[in-house]
Amino acid sequence: MSEQIYNRESFLTSLAQNLGRSTPKTVERPTWKHQPQWQILKNASQDELVTVFKKQCETIHTDVIETESDQLADVIHERVKSYNGKSISAWKDERFHQYDIFSKTDATIHKWDPRMKDNVAQTESADIGITFCDLALAESGTIVLFSNENQGRSVSLLPTTYIALVPKSLIVPRMSQATRKIHLLMKEGEFPATCVNFISGPSNSADIEMNLVVGMHGPIRTTYVVISNL
Amino acid sequence: MNVSLFVTCLGDIFYPNVGKSVVEVLESLGCEVDFPFSQTCCGQPAFNSGYREEAKEAARNMIRAFENSSYVVGPSGSCVAMFSEYEELFHNEPEMQHKARSLKERSYEFTQFLVDVLGVNNVGASLNATATYHKSCHMTRLLGVKDAPEALLSEVEGLNYRKLPNCENCCGFGGTFSVKMVAISKEMVDEKIKDIESTDADILIGADSGCLMNISGRMNRLQKPVKVMHIAEVLTQREEK
Amino acid sequence: MPMRIGTTTFNDRIEKGINDEFMRDSVRSAQERLLGKRLDAAEELGSWEDWRNLGEEIRSHTLEYLDYYLYELSEKVKENGGHVYFAKTAEEANHYIQKVVKRKNGKKIIKSKSMVTEEISMNEALESIGCDVIESDLGEYILQVDDHDPPSHIVVPALHKNKSQIRDVFKEKLGYLNTDKPEELTLFAREKLRKEFLSADIGITGCNFAVAESGTITLVTNEGNARLATTLPKTQITVMGMERIVPTWEELDVMISLLSRSAVGQKLTTYVTALSGPKSPLEGDGPEEFHLVIVDNGRSNIIGTEFQEALHCIRCAACINVCPVYRHVGGHGYGSIYPGPIGAVISPLLGGYEEYGELPFASTLCAACTDACPVKIPLHELLNKHRKNIIEGRGLSAEKIAMRGFQYGTTLPILYQVGTKLAPFLSLPFQTNSFLTKGPGPLKAWTTIRDMPAPNNERFRDWFKKRQKEESFE
Repeated sequence: MSEQIYNRESFLTSLAQNLGRSTPKTVERPTWKHQPQWQILKNASQDELVTVFKKQCETIHTDVIETESDQLADVIHERVKSYNGKSISAWKDERFHQYDIFSKTDATIHKWDPRMKDNVAQTESADIGITFCDLALAESGTIVLFSNENQGRSVSLLPTTYIALVPKSLIVPRMSQATRKIHLLMKEGEFPATCVNFISGPSNSADIEMNLVVGMHGPIRTTYVVISNL
Repeated sequence: MNVSLFVTCLGDIFYPNVGKSVVEVLESLGCEVDFPFSQTCCGQPAFNSGYREEAKEAARNMIRAFENSSYVVGPSGSCVAMFSEYEELFHNEPEMQHKARSLKERSYEFTQFLVDVLGVNNVGASLNATATYHKSCHMTRLLGVKDAPEALLSEVEGLNYRKLPNCENCCGFGGTFSVKMVAISKEMVDEKIKDIESTDADILIGADSGCLMNISGRMNRLQKPVKVMHIAEVLTQREEK
Repeated sequence: MPMRIGTTTFNDRIEKGINDEFMRDSVRSAQERLLGKRLDAAEELGSWEDWRNLGEEIRSHTLEYLDYYLYELSEKVKENGGHVYFAKTAEEANHYIQKVVKRKNGKKIIKSKSMVTEEISMNEALESIGCDVIESDLGEYILQVDDHDPPSHIVVPALHKNKSQIRDVFKEKLGYLNTDKPEELTLFAREKLRKEFLSADIGITGCNFAVAESGTITLVTNEGNARLATTLPKTQITVMGMERIVPTWEELDVMISLLSRSAVGQKLTTYVTALSGPKSPLEGDGPEEFHLVIVDNGRSNIIGTEFQEALHCIRCAACINVCPVYRHVGGHGYGSIYPGPIGAVISPLLGGYEEYGELPFASTLCAACTDACPVKIPLHELLNKHRKNIIEGRGLSAEKIAMRGFQYGTTLPILYQVGTKLAPFLSLPFQTNSFLTKGPGPLKAWTTIRDMPAPNNERFRDWFKKRQKEESFE
């Protein structure tokens, strides 16, 4: 079934009629009179951004570990052990190999592999999901993930525990910088991903009497590992 | 300074003492107060019930009544805020619209006039009592008068002022709402009374007769001992220590 | 579930709400918490008014060019490999969704929370062709398990239920054996629903905002259910109200920032998921097929009218969370899936005055809603405009005659004078001390719960006139 658009003409024509004109060929997006978003953490240094990021993580029930790339294997080993993790699902990412990240842990590793059929099942049964991130937002303690064939959506979603590796240089003040970056990429015709996820801590729900319960459909525990030299 | 008093219909009929107090305070501050006798109601009851044409005719009368006033001052934020609606009511009568804008620009709520125009916070009042203050919604949100009443009350000698919890909550008056939606209105005013009682105040002060009529009417029915006063009445008190 | 909920009359619903002590307690405490969180979040952000102004600017512009942006969106979705269906009515939308589901031979459908699918009664439409439709938002799931109890809040749908009621529902319907601790109830639902996610054929979502420039739809949740619904099933159908759109990713940032803060007082919700069409052929998860259904269902009638601003709504519920009327009557009192101030504005627009004509009058016009709205919809003014339309559309009523009397009374100062002068005498029979305790007409309604001050024998104007005379003699 090839892609189709149904009923567009009649739908938009009647809309245009109600707006009292015909549909314009181009619309110039105005320069917004108010732009408070750019004032937030305006001249913050990378160190300051890390501080804000870490502080916010306290609010969103997320542990943060700051380390250097040569310590990553130890940090992961420790964390996996403390979570009692027996199996890990991770993105297919050169950097896991480059920094020997899984060299010390005893857990079994499933690497997301586009050629394999059972990625989702393997990830579903893994105790821990581990990914790098593509950007991070200081203000909200958010990591940004772009999906692609090596970066499965399930890894940060299905296991009960999730660990994100956050290169310090990728932390920006807030969502504004991330969405601007995506907007500019789009304009150059480069679309970053079919799915972009902004994730701020473990899943949670307050649907029962407004009591916050950490751990709903997604991970129940989350750790961010900030890598200060990357 | 010449000031025309806009006494409001509730003030005229039910609470003449409020108008008298306004006159007294303004005169004590050196204002000449006149009262255009052709004033009636601002039209809000009709306007807020969906009767625009009826409200418009009331508006026309009020614009005429205050046409020659340099300042119009009223002891009700809600009624004064109603003047801001006149412009839109006359959207197809440019001349009236112009006059409506002029009226709006010359009109002030009583406490707003004292603090913002006369620049006075202390009017020399004294009252030995514990009191709390109900912020009226229209005065605060529609007219934007947020701090003037408390600024004035903080200067009343002897007054033990207690902030009202949940002061942003509506008292449940809402004009015709109070008679159309009695059941909901009752819950709202009861909640307000609970908050008032929690302050242990002897006096509830307000700046809008509509809200005060609602709250005092319910308190009277429930035989609550709290006294209700309009802020203008408070500002005329001169009690010895 | 259609937009209309319950079959009782407005007054019965109000009474039921007011007498539901548990519901009122939970609404009160939810309002308090959310208000505090929202104010903290706004303060933390700084320059909140600038943010609101920006939000308003963006929404106004987007609605002004809605046809253009919808065109762009549909082109981009197609480029991304998705299908777009423009549905004028609920029936058209449901018919298309049924068709897709049948073609995919879909039996089990997992849903993430969506108000517009409630509005068009999509679940019923799918159930009628033999599908099993499962709500995955915890609140919605609880309501669904409880024989389709209607939602009472647009962000926290099961706000009116307490944990022991929820435990009983789970116990009776699902064989739940544990306590009423929210943690245990939540874990139970997680495990139940995870199985459903893994075996669902089709995922159906709403859409918080679509991004025109890239053909992207975004979903905002804390639970992660929208992520699961768009990661595991092979087919994804997204249903959006046609006004839920922004021009570019830059505006998406602003709207999501406003939504997260206003709805739940968070800087960002835990998950913001932005999907642009189906997965690429090489990707190992995500939907293979993507359908976007853009729903009008009465919205275009609002475009170009005095109510256009109502379409600026981003469904954050900030107005509901400050509304004193909502606090006392609860969501079900409104008889619509859209309760509170915004519900009282849009339910009559989408469902007509016949059905929802009482709602605009169920407000004191205190404007707390207008103050709270992150995109500055003048809600109390729109309520008043409804009142005008309702009154002007009605024939002659007792109230209208009274208001005509009002008009003559207020425009002819002489009539006002005589009328008000007589008031103290006319009210004498009802008087105890200086208060009236009963009376006819509106006075009767007033005095059912409160006393009325008796009109003063000397009106202010009489006093002033006397004083003037005295002064002129001096």
